[in-house]
Parts: sequence; structure tokens; C-alpha cells
Amino acid sequence: MRCEAPVESQVRQRAAEGRDDGEAGIAAPAGHWRLAWLPPGDAVPCSLLIDRRAFTACLLLLAALMAASLAYLAMGSSGLAPRAVLPALVGRGEMMAVFLVQELRLPRLVAACLTGAAFGVAGCLMQTLARNRLATPGIIGIDNGATAFAVASVVGLGVSLAPPAMALAGAATAAAITFGLAAGGGTRGYRFIIAGIGVGAVFGAITQLLLAKVAIDTANAAYPWTVGSLNARPAGAVTLLAIGLAVGLAAALGLTRSLSLLRFSDAVATTLGIHVARRRWQVLVVSVLLTGLAVAVAGPVGLVGLIGPEIARSLSSPRGVPVVASALAGALVMVLADLAGRVLLAPIEIPVGIVTSVVGGPWLLWILLRPASRNLA
Amino acid sequence: MTRHELATRNLTLRYGRATIIDDLALALPAGQVTAIVGPNGCGKSTLLAGLARLHAPSQGAVLLDGKDIQQLPVRELARRLALLPQEAVAPEGLTVAELVRFGRQPHQGWLRQWSAEDQEVVREALVAADVVELSERTLDTLSGGQRQRAWIAMTIAQQTPLLLLDEPTSALDLGHQIEVFELVRRLAAGGRTVVMVLHDLASACRYADHLLALHSGQLVAAGPPGEVVTTDLVRQLYDIDCTLIPDPATGSLLLANVRRARRCETA
Repeated sequence: MRCEAPVESQVRQRAAEGRDDGEAGIAAPAGHWRLAWLPPGDAVPCSLLIDRRAFTACLLLLAALMAASLAYLAMGSSGLAPRAVLPALVGRGEMMAVFLVQELRLPRLVAACLTGAAFGVAGCLMQTLARNRLATPGIIGIDNGATAFAVASVVGLGVSLAPPAMALAGAATAAAITFGLAAGGGTRGYRFIIAGIGVGAVFGAITQLLLAKVAIDTANAAYPWTVGSLNARPAGAVTLLAIGLAVGLAAALGLTRSLSLLRFSDAVATTLGIHVARRRWQVLVVSVLLTGLAVAVAGPVGLVGLIGPEIARSLSSPRGVPVVASALAGALVMVLADLAGRVLLAPIEIPVGIVTSVVGGPWLLWILLRPASRNLA
Repeated sequence: MTRHELATRNLTLRYGRATIIDDLALALPAGQVTAIVGPNGCGKSTLLAGLARLHAPSQGAVLLDGKDIQQLPVRELARRLALLPQEAVAPEGLTVAELVRFGRQPHQGWLRQWSAEDQEVVREALVAADVVELSERTLDTLSGGQRQRAWIAMTIAQQTPLLLLDEPTSALDLGHQIEVFELVRRLAAGGRTVVMVLHDLASACRYADHLLALHSGQLVAAGPPGEVVTTDLVRQLYDIDCTLIPDPATGSLLLANVRRARRCETA
């Protein structure tokens, strides 16, 4: 193409002068590291850009998550010395300590990390999709949809599906209804969020109705679902979530370049070469999948999907969408919240959903009351 | 030398049942600046959206080098045609340089994120749009004119032979308007085809080589502004009477003695 001529000729000229293959003299854009290599048998060098701030944010969050995990394994109704935790983890030390760590706390820690990461990524994706920081699955009713369906399966309405499948079906149903109601407005703007809040309220009411209609023991069994708890985890749900998270995270990473373009207006994103409708559909599917699977494990702890990405964004740079950082921050929030729930009023345990609501409610208010310019994307 | 000529064939664009552009056939001369003018609601912006494939035709087609653009992959189209929409929204906190780098997106891939060419083109785009000194500022700290130049720099970095601008000067004061128009002329002199929707007929006469006048979704005039702009056309488009006089310095047409058309003369 004619317009490319000046640059191409310069590059060619440099190459002809025997100076280089056009690689020397490339400075990474401000705030990035650039990795470049020449694949064998190819003339075009490969290059990767790593956003320094996003990378540092991930390292920081990872370190914080490790520290929080250590505390999580050590603290509880019967405390362990921090230095006894690691040996216990690999099966050494006192039998009681090994039992506590390996059998009781580790599985729950894994569940906390996985659900937190899933809620974090789902929230980050939905916020990007709707270009609105309030549009997380928890707020637009997807959590409640998943919960209502899962509770229906627990209290046994003649449905024999396992909770994960039911939660997924519920998440998908709620998302479909919200999108249907917001049709025309698309996923942009308040119509979508208000439709979602309405859908969430209806599903919340359905959950309560289901619980009111069954015997008290059954209702008690389903209670953790309604507030969000890591105490009662359906068998198999954690494994399913782990698989779903691996797939969802890989898909989200594959979509990162498109995600950063989806933050622009549709017209800009389209003319920069992405298929907006198709990409949004993919992002939505990943977000709903992660939400459904996470709710199947922990119930509606959706505020993690609001807080996690918020922390990730404030630590990362505005150049990209912080998918990995959101996963790490979500896991961190979940681990800390569940730890607080286990420790604060021990031996009484506060469900993690209640802890996140106590923290997340004021957080939401703070977002609303912040100076207008940073209110919405 | 390829002539990236954009044309339409029996193009009909609808919003729901309302027909906005009706059976339109036009051709945009390559390497020139084309201005699309017309009254509010005549379909100018819809036509531009149709030309950029943002609005799928109900009938007919938009042709790029004779090929239907609906058949082109989005990335391929993004390397050949750039659009600056009205009220473009960018993510919060982005700097000018970061915005301009997004223009390289259609040329990049997962394993080709930053090349020598990317660096050079971004640098040239910043220079061309005269935003080098602003490159580390965030967009929300810029004036309207500066921000518009930053966006145009992004479309320049896209390196497309075709550039579509939707009312690029609508929110700008006179000084900033002239900045943008002179930038457009420089881009055309560099070999690009520029198509812009404009509100101001005098600016269109001054800065465009080719004028398309739309009224109610129909093309009512097409050609060099000096030839097609007449008092009759002005009355038909905007329902005003005026006297057209040549600019003493440039010869382009100016509207003088503008007043509302007398009722009996408007059909």
C-alpha cells in the first residue's frame, strides 16, 4: 500500500546498510518491556510487550495471596505456629497439625482461591463488556439466578441435577433475561444494569419462596447457599470450578487484546478491526460460566466480583484490562474474607458472603460517591 | 498504484422501518478530500457509518476497490479504512501516545506486538497530527481541539489509504477547526483519501475537492464545490436564501447575506 512506503523503505534501507534487521533502535513504548526474538526460518521478528505496572501488580497480588494463604492455614479455632504450617502441608510434624492443614483448611483454601479468582475474572469481564464498573454479575442478577436454581436442586423440586449444572443453568437464564430486557440498549448504559437489578430481585425472591415452602431441615441445608459460604461445598463442584477456571482464564487471556478494544466505543473498536458483537458474546459466555461454577461452590459472594477488579485496576495501568490481576485480587479478597469470617467471632463462623457484604456495601457506596469524573467508564 | 476507490451501489440503509439512505449510488474520488453535507437528519452520519461497515445495508452494497465490504474480514477492512466517529469514547486514564498506539492494532498480532514499523508509524502519526508535545498527557487533560488531533493521530497510525471523519470539527472553536482542516489537507496531499461529514457548507467549499450534498437520504448534488454549490442548492438543503461570493484570497465560495427562504419559494 502506498501509505506504508516511507516506513517500509526506511526499514529496508537500514537493512540494506547492513545495520540490522530493523530490530536495533526499537524502544519499548513507555512503561513496557519488550521481548523480541527471531523465529527460525522466519524473517519477521516476534515481539511481546509486557506492561511493567500490570506485571508488578500481579507479583504484588501474588505475594499478598501467598501471605494470606499462609495465615489462612495457620489461623483458626485451633491456631498453628506459622512455621509449623509448611511442614504440615507436606505431611510432616504433629498429626493434629497435618490433619488440620491437609484435611480441613487446605481444601477450603483452594475453594476460596478458586471461587475468588472466578468471581474476580467474571466481574472484570462483565465490567469491560458493559463499560460500566457497576455491571458485575453479582449486581446484574446472575449470581441470584444461579443461586435460585441451585437452591431449587438442593430443596429438591423433583429436579435431580447436581448444583453446578443447576447453578450454570440459572446463571445463563438470568443473563439471558437481563439481556433480553435490555435489548435495544445493548449492554451499555443504565438500562442494562437496572434490568439486571430487577432480574436479581426476582430470583432472590424465588429463592426465599423456595425456602419458605420446604421443611425447616431442608431449608437449613440450603441456607449457606443464600448467604454465600465456603462451609458446605457440594462434592465435585470444586473440581468442576477448577476446570472451568482454567478454561475461562485461558479464554479471557486469549481475548485480552480484544478486551482492551472493547473499552472504546463500538464504532472505534470495530474500525480497529475486531468483531465487536462476536467478541462480546464470547466475553459474556466466559463471564456467565465462571459465575455459575463459582456460585455452585460458594453461593452468591458476588461482591468479590466488584472489589477484586477494582483493586486490580487501581494497581494496574489503564492501558490494558487486568484479567490476571483481577483473578489474584478476587482470590485474595475471598481468602481474607473467609479467614475473617472464621476467626473474628470464633467459634461461631460468619459465612463469607456476609463478610464480603459488610465490606462490599460501603465499597459500593464509595464508588457511587466518588468524584463524578471517575464514576463510570 | 492502486486507487482505493470507495463506491456504493444501490445502497439502502434503514433504521428499523425508517429508510435513511435510499438507493444511493456514488463514488468517492481516490486521493481527494470529499465532504458530505446536508441538513440535520439527511442521513450524512448514517451514510458514513454504512461506508465504514458499521451499518449493514438493507439493499445494495458498499464497494472497496470493486469488492463488497461485507465480504472483507474486519481486520483486513481496518487496514484499509479508518473511521473517527463522533463522540469517540476512550478508556479512562489513557495518554495520547497510548491512544495512538491502539491505531496499530489491526497490524499487530499476539506474537507481533511491537515492531520497528509500529514505532516509526506511531512517531510519524504524532508528528503529522502535531501532538508530539502532548504525547504523555492523558486525554481528559486536553482541550477539545487537542483531543480531536490525538484521535486523528490514532487513525493516521492505522495507516489506511481511506480515512472517514464524522463531523471532526463540530465541537471546536474556529482556530481548532482550521487546525483540523489543515491536517486533513496535509493527509490528502500525502496520498490519502479523506471523506468527512461537515455541517458548515463554507468549510466544505474551502477544504474539500469533492462535495456530496444529501437531502432526505437522496444525493442531490455531487462534484467540485465550485461547480455544484449554487444558491438553489443552498435553498434546497438548508431552506435559506443567500448570496454566494468567492473568497478574495482563495476563490472558494462564501455564503453572504444569509436569510430564511421566503415561504413561496420552498417547495
